[in-house]
Amino acid sequence: MTSSRTCLLILPILLLCSSVSLSHHSFSAVYDGSKETTVAGVVTQFRFVNPHAMMYLDATDSSGKVAKWVVEFDGRLNLSNVGWTADSIKSGERVTVTGNPSHTESNRLFFRKLVHADGTELVRGAQRLNAIEEDRRQRARQRDQQK
Amino acid sequence: MSHLKQQSTLAIFVLLGLLTATANAQSSRTKLDGMWSDPPATAVGTFCFFSCTDLGLDRLNKLLDDSANDARPAMQLIAQAKTVEGDYIRGLFTPEALKHFPLDPLKDPGYLRCEPWGLARQMFAPHQFEMRQNGRDRIDLRYGEWAARRTIYMDGRKLPANIKPSKMGYSIGRWDGETLIIETSAIEANIFESLAVGGNTGGGTLHSDQLRIVERYTRSSDGKTLQLTATLEDPVTFRGPLVLKKTWSWAPDQKITPYDSCERPAESKKDAKP
Repeated sequence: MTSSRTCLLILPILLLCSSVSLSHHSFSAVYDGSKETTVAGVVTQFRFVNPHAMMYLDATDSSGKVAKWVVEFDGRLNLSNVGWTADSIKSGERVTVTGNPSHTESNRLFFRKLVHADGTELVRGAQRLNAIEEDRRQRARQRDQQK
Repeated sequence: MSHLKQQSTLAIFVLLGLLTATANAQSSRTKLDGMWSDPPATAVGTFCFFSCTDLGLDRLNKLLDDSANDARPAMQLIAQAKTVEGDYIRGLFTPEALKHFPLDPLKDPGYLRCEPWGLARQMFAPHQFEMRQNGRDRIDLRYGEWAARRTIYMDGRKLPANIKPSKMGYSIGRWDGETLIIETSAIEANIFESLAVGGNTGGGTLHSDQLRIVERYTRSSDGKTLQLTATLEDPVTFRGPLVLKKTWSWAPDQKITPYDSCERPAESKKDAKP
């Protein structure tokens, strides 16, 4: 029973991760899906590649010390499905990124949300999730009309 | 004279029949051709993003049709149906398969060494899937994930008895009306996984080189989706046939891009084989 309940709690997270990505490695083996970390900094490189796009970020703390962060994304395969291009994130721009921290490596995140300096956002999987819920509402409406 | 006329009419009908049959065969041969990708953004499409079973789909549809669940997020209902599906799939595992279950995802060669998947995982890979008739006797399959390729021999040959197993196995195909049927054997022992049994969280097990797979591909009547029904049989791994389904959407504008940057995890680099 406990196992089933745990599964019910964890599976939506996995399905969300999996529905959008899960390519050459396990998400949960590398990242902690239950935690989120937010980092602000300047993009030094965005690589729009498979199996995972990568962003490299310099984050400067109040003492002026620079910490280098690596942010892993879904692959180019499925980022391009939702309209991303190699120019979606530009070197030199200031961004605030939120993601799941790595179990094993410090200063490494799996992308959840990125806010550009102008306030526009890139959010992981949002379009698909919205479409799924809209489809479900439509299905419920059709069901109710048939009653 | 009348007899000659009858014979001529018969010959014309036979010729027309042959031409129609040839045209239909040609149409079948290219009907599935083209680029396919992620399934429709629906609860059912998402449920079968990697693979699904009829049992799981039935449970999901019941949950979606129950108005008591209208306030619950779709992903939660999908997860509930996946739990039921997982119990069913685990129940098909032999004691040998259960010995290896669940595999440690940190020891997955795909993760450790960027080693491409075997067929049991590759055929359910997400994203792009391209099918192309290559001449009369071959079909080429390409997958976005791992930029993997397969060749299906359509010339009526039999599955060879003694062939060295490989990751993708040896595949022969035939048409049954507008359904493409592919039979594959000589598949190397490798990993089988399903999200329903916790795939990618260590939900996989090992299958043996006795795995045989029959895939059936059909295009939907509206042309918008491609459906796969795959039957996996492996007496070492499964107590009986495991039937898994998957759906892709028609995606003519998509491309398969190079798989050129597979990064080995830092913590595994010193121990991993090159």
